[in-house]
Amino acid sequence: MTGRKLTWPLAFVLFGALIISLFPVFWIVMTAIKPPTDWNASPAIWVPSHPTMVNFKTLFDPDAIRAYGVGGVSQAATNSVFGSLLASVAGTVLSVVIGLCAAIGISRYANGGKATPLIILSGRMFPPAAIAVPFVIIYSNVGLIDTYRGLIAIYVAGTLPFSTWMLKSFVDDLPREIEEAVMIDGRSRLMAHIFVTIPLIRGGLLATTLFIFILNWSEFMFALVLSYSNVTTIPVQLARYVTATAGTLYGVQAALAVLAMLPLILAGLLIQSHLARGMTFGAVKR
Amino acid sequence: MLAPAALEVRGLCKAFGDKAAVCDLDFAIPEGSLTVLLGSAGAGKTTTLRLIAGVDRPNAGRVLMRGRNVTGLEPKDRDIAMIFDNLALYPNKTGFANIASSLTIRGTAKAEIEQRVAEVSSTLRIAHVLNRLPKTMSGGERQRVALGRALIRKPGLFLLDEPLSSLDAMLRIELRAELKRLQRDLGATFLLATPDFAEAMAVADTVVMLRAGRVVQIATAQSLYDDPVDREVARFVGAPEINLMKAVYEPGILGSIQVAGASFAGLKKLRNALPKAGGPFEIGIRPEHLKLLPPGQAPIKARVFDIEPLGLKSMVTVKNEESEMRLIVDTDVAGRYSAGDVVGLDLVDLGLLAFDAVSGVRLA
Repeated sequence: MTGRKLTWPLAFVLFGALIISLFPVFWIVMTAIKPPTDWNASPAIWVPSHPTMVNFKTLFDPDAIRAYGVGGVSQAATNSVFGSLLASVAGTVLSVVIGLCAAIGISRYANGGKATPLIILSGRMFPPAAIAVPFVIIYSNVGLIDTYRGLIAIYVAGTLPFSTWMLKSFVDDLPREIEEAVMIDGRSRLMAHIFVTIPLIRGGLLATTLFIFILNWSEFMFALVLSYSNVTTIPVQLARYVTATAGTLYGVQAALAVLAMLPLILAGLLIQSHLARGMTFGAVKR
Repeated sequence: MLAPAALEVRGLCKAFGDKAAVCDLDFAIPEGSLTVLLGSAGAGKTTTLRLIAGVDRPNAGRVLMRGRNVTGLEPKDRDIAMIFDNLALYPNKTGFANIASSLTIRGTAKAEIEQRVAEVSSTLRIAHVLNRLPKTMSGGERQRVALGRALIRKPGLFLLDEPLSSLDAMLRIELRAELKRLQRDLGATFLLATPDFAEAMAVADTVVMLRAGRVVQIATAQSLYDDPVDREVARFVGAPEINLMKAVYEPGILGSIQVAGASFAGLKKLRNALPKAGGPFEIGIRPEHLKLLPPGQAPIKARVFDIEPLGLKSMVTVKNEESEMRLIVDTDVAGRYSAGDVVGLDLVDLGLLAFDAVSGVRLA
């Protein structure tokens, strides 16, 4: 934290930025509690006069969805919430664990040579759309299509460059002498990393985990093209609330979007104190 | 046969990429001594310590401790302690936990840990920082905590990488005396790296002089000063720097040495050691080995350029057409002159050094 003083002009600018960034959240939450007649009203209804939880009920009641009309989604959102949690959590944990090993290997031991970090990063240089269809074909042939294993695998592969590079920067910032001091004090290399490196980059580790989780949680394209009916995630489910007769079910969509936002906001609040760097301050002479 | 050395380094080499950091290092340090690794930045001091500690692995060569080959061992199995140049305290642990670290890891009983931390912290006068995190400590306190973390182990060898470099001048002089006293009291073996010759002078039993990753001279600090192997060592050792001037030796019955526009028929000691054929060489004169005299009473004529009083002594810079020289003389002698005055200079046969004009190798 810098000791910058909050002056009136600064407060004004910050307030403006806050309004701009919070407005979409406000709008989604308001839409989620509007009755169907207010969803698309003109002029817009900012705050519904009769807030309702009906949209949230509709999400988990297949009959209520079918009542809106023909076409679109006919399943409750339960599967998609479960699917998103499974694919995102598993994909994030694996990506961060593998990325952490890679980051320490690259930063401390230059494993794989100088080009390795760039080769790993090059995995992000393909537009996902360019590799989506080949993956559909490959997955169909190896039996991974429409499976959580398959989706998790692609989430790990897709986010590994980010987790590796982010964690590498945190490991780079940590003076290696601290690890070496503990090796001299009596720990093996592996134990030095477990007992010293990881606790000291905890803030970075949490920030990386949250970032990777957000990427996986909001991923749409692969979840769409690599699944038929078994595997669904929230972003895919969101796109299904379109009916032939009643149009797009904005309120129901907004309700699911609110549910989708909650874990991210909660996670952000929980770890915000760890997000700031500065854990290593005072450890070494600068 | 003598008892095996506390540490013996044989043919140690380490390259980073295709750049050699240290090469063919050979030296041994006896039990209970304080040896200083002296060299400028990039000479390979830190690399040498890291190879001995085992945190880096050598490309070639061996490290022996008390006759035991430890080259392939993990740092924890080498019976060493190291103080890094950035100290590397555990930032998330208190002073107590930092000092106790090696004992905690090895599963020492709690009561014994507490007793030994108490001992070490009273020796180092850091009992008041035991409950504090490193970021709340002063530079000197951190330094002592790092020292405490090393001392508590009672290892066979202490490695200290520029342990005093970040401290201010007063504290540095105080702590280096303390370091030397601790080493003597404990009878411990210290290997200390520093770029500071004065520090080496103050604490070293033996100095291992490193340059460009190689050992250039192993000697006591005093003989490094009196008897350097080459021009670069002579320049590195001593402040102000040794005066180096072009000189010519003309042999013969009335052989003479020409330097700084004057001719010296004496200086027998120097002449006897120079090659018989004569020729150009470089003469090295320590600032305290030049005599400042009134003009006309000495062979070399020069003009005073600057006088810096240093207390009892003063540093006088003089110039003539041939050269610029610095002298350390008593302040009352320097006080007789001021900038611009013409003065005379004389050489004392004692302490003159001669180097090959091209290679810088010591001739005499």
